[in-house]
Order: sequence, then C-alpha cells, then structure tokens
Amino acid sequence: MKSVVFKFLTLLVFLTSATLFASADVEHASVANAEKAYEVKPFSEMFGGFLESTGINALINPDPNELNSHDEPMSDFHKSWGRIIMILITFLLFWLAIRKGFEPLLLLPIAFGGLLANIPIAGIAGHDGFLGIIYEMGLANQLFPILIFMGVGAMTDFGPLLSNPKTALLGGAAQFGIFGTLVGAVALSEYTTIFDFSLQQASAISIIGGADGPTSIFIATALAPELLGAIAVASYSYMAMVPIIQPPIMKALTNDAERKIKMTTLRHVSRLEKLVFPIMVLVLAILVLPESTPLIGAFMFGNFLKESGVVDRLSDTMQNALINIVTIFLGLAVGSKLAADQFLVADTLAILALGIVAFSVGTASGVIMAKIMNLFPGNKINPLIGSAGVSAVPMAARVSNKVGMQYDKSNMLLMHAMGPNVAGVIGSAVAAGVLISLFQ
Amino acid sequence: MDTNLVIEGFKFMVLGMGTVFAFLIILIGLMNVMSMVIHKLFPEPQASGESHTQQGSKNNKVIAAITAAISHHRQG
Repeated sequence: MKSVVFKFLTLLVFLTSATLFASADVEHASVANAEKAYEVKPFSEMFGGFLESTGINALINPDPNELNSHDEPMSDFHKSWGRIIMILITFLLFWLAIRKGFEPLLLLPIAFGGLLANIPIAGIAGHDGFLGIIYEMGLANQLFPILIFMGVGAMTDFGPLLSNPKTALLGGAAQFGIFGTLVGAVALSEYTTIFDFSLQQASAISIIGGADGPTSIFIATALAPELLGAIAVASYSYMAMVPIIQPPIMKALTNDAERKIKMTTLRHVSRLEKLVFPIMVLVLAILVLPESTPLIGAFMFGNFLKESGVVDRLSDTMQNALINIVTIFLGLAVGSKLAADQFLVADTLAILALGIVAFSVGTASGVIMAKIMNLFPGNKINPLIGSAGVSAVPMAARVSNKVGMQYDKSNMLLMHAMGPNVAGVIGSAVAAGVLISLFQ
Repeated sequence: MDTNLVIEGFKFMVLGMGTVFAFLIILIGLMNVMSMVIHKLFPEPQASGESHTQQGSKNNKVIAAITAAISHHRQG
C-alpha cells in the first residue's frame, strides 16, 4: 500500500515538473506538446482550415512539405495528378481482377493497397500508417513470401516429377527467361540513356521470368526494394495472363506431329518416395546453395508435413488459413508500394516490358529444351509440356493440357506437365539463391 | 563506372544457368537412385498385398466368430 502511494506521488511530481519545464522553455514545449491547447477561432477561420484539410485541396494544391514513405521530398506531379492517375490504375486493376479473373486473390488486395497508399495527407503507406506497418512487419524482412512458400509446398504433389524425373530439365531450361532478361536489362541501361538499372535492379526485374510471385517479391525486397511495386504487379499480372501469353509461343515452336506425341503413362509413386523427396532436395540445397534454403526450406517443410500424413491439421492450416491470411497482408504490403512517386516513373514501363520478355523467353526455352531432349533416345516428350517449366503452378500445366487437347482430344498432358511445373518452382528458387549469393 | 555491365550480365547467366542445371541434374540422379533403392528395400505393392490378406483373414475370423455366436444364441 505504501509503495503505491509513493509511486503515485513520484508520478505527480514528475508530471508537474514536466509541465513547468514545458511552460518555461519553448524548445521543450515543442517536444512535449503531445496535447495541443485548443485555440478559440472565429468560424470563418475554422471553415477555411477545414477546407485546407480536404483531399480535394491536397490534390489541387499539394503541400510542399509532404514527404513520401521514405521521408524524401516528392515532386508536385506525384502529389497531385500522379495520385489521381494511380487511383485510376487501381480501378483498372479492380476491373481486371473482378471482370477478367486475373489472379483476383492477389490482385485485389494489391490494388486496394495501392488505392489506400495514394490518399493524400493520411499517409497510410508511411511509417505510422497501417500499410506501412504491415510492410515493415512482413515484407521488408521477406517473411511473407517465405510463409506463402510454405503453403505452396503443402499444396504441391511431387508425384508426377518423381515418376518421370528427367522432366525436371524442362523446369531448369525455363529459368533461362530469368538470366536472358538480366542481360537484356543491363544492356538497356548500358546502351540507352533513359534507363539506368544497376546489376541488382536488373536481377530483381529479371526474376519475373521465373513466373513465381513469392520468389519475385523475395528477390525484389532483397536487391531492389524501390522497384518492388512494379515488379510484383508485373509478376502477378503476367502470371494471370499465362493462358494468353503462352499458347502462341508454344504453337509457333512446335509442329503438328510433336503436339500429338503421346507420353507413356506415369508409374505409381510410393508414399515413401514422396516422403524422402523433400528432405533430399533440402539436403542438396544445403550442400550446393545455402542461399536458396530459406525458400526451398520453407517449401519442403510444407511439403514434408503434407506427405507425412500424420499432421493433417497443420498441413490443412498451411494450405488454407495461413496462406489466405498471409496473402491478404502480402497483397496490401505490395500495394503500399504503388504510391505514385514510386510507380509513375519511366522504370516501371521498362519493368513491364522486360517482364513480358522474360516470361516469353522462359516459355520458349522450356519448349526448345523438350525438343532437344527428344533428339536423344528414350521415351519421347511432348514439347507442349516444356512451357510448364515456368513455375506458375498449376496454371502453366493447365495451359499445356489445354493446347494439347486442341490437337488431340484424347491426349491428357496435365499430369505430365505438373512434373516440369514443380521442377520450375525448385529451379526458380535455386536461381534466386544464385542471384542473392552473387551480391553477398 | 568502367565495368561493362553486359559482360557482367553474361557472367551471371553462365553461372546461374549452370547452377540451376547442375542442381536439377544431380536431383534427377538422386531421384532415380532413391526410387531404385526404395523399390528394392521396401517393395510397396507386395507389402500392401500382404496387409490386405492379413486384414482379410482377420475379418474372416471375426465373421466366423460372430456367426458362431449367433447360431449359439439361436440354439440356446
């Protein structure tokens, strides 16, 4: 009891002294004026003050002292018209997600995050805004992409790959999209004066060619956080456009006979094989490329829990609840990087252009790799499954199946295409590890 | 900066694609070895067959016991 009274008295003394100091010293006042005194003002002034705080005013007469989320000054364009343009772009993304069905699970949270990030005055994407807090919580430290990878691992079935291991090469070839575009991006900055990408930025852009959203975000936050918004938007919109981008490339590179190749039926894969596989990949990653183990480790953790068959509750949570929650946060955090001052720059156009090149090159190299493999003796591979080497799971495999069915209704390629598809996920995680290790 | 970025980019490409392919080729080898070893040491179809017949005989015994009990009950 005594101690309580004592504490109370100390607090009282402390508070009084603080107020005394504040009133005595002007400098201290500016630090300690958490509570502003209410000033009596005539109504006209109050009304004028209110008008000044409206969004309309902030968009028309931007506040010269307003800083962006990195505490740097912004140009007037980015504070006024830039924001209006960005808000219209987010409306366009809404339309793409809802009407056209472009990856709505991610595009909607990203677009809405972008809308919130472009609100003047409120500073939602700043350090103290909730988008800024979500960004700091899970994206700046690369946590969210890793958690997503866990969920994807718990959803992945390595059976098709295990029953036809050599199709893993197709998933490797498709990573050529990444490195081909890297050369393209540095060439752009070397031989043109408009763009000036560093090697880090070029690497972050080129990973779009891996067609793997979480990996792109992982690399972008590690190597070029200033480009994150554009890279994530490009990556997810191209993944959504797989059914539009891939078929023309696949058809251009194959002839009729190749498209009708029937592949031998997949053998049965035992449960033990599926259980050993994730550990085997992880051990290999540990030995060859430890930099890739955050991604591969999380991926194989999810897969191992699923294949173990004894923790259905955990694997179920990863496949549904966890990945859904993280997707909401990831989308909003990426959206916070759609602020006008970061997105409305010439670099964004280059990223969108290089992204689609990366994607197309990846698709083409997968198909060409399948044709090369057919030159060797052994079971023939339908080159249409080569395009599934880009790791957009399972969309790319579905596209292979669909194109195959156009030429031969009885030719089911879906399970055959899942092999290169999941190998593509491993391949792009390895590529990501290489890129990170090169900048260490 | 004097370094030619394009040449650096090509170096990245060679190293990156090399690592990706090396990783996957080793993985393919390991997959083949693993499935061979597992099929030799733990042949699955046979094992599952055994357990089926065991279960079957167990079931038969249970059914026999039940029918015996029922007939006993009816008699008694």
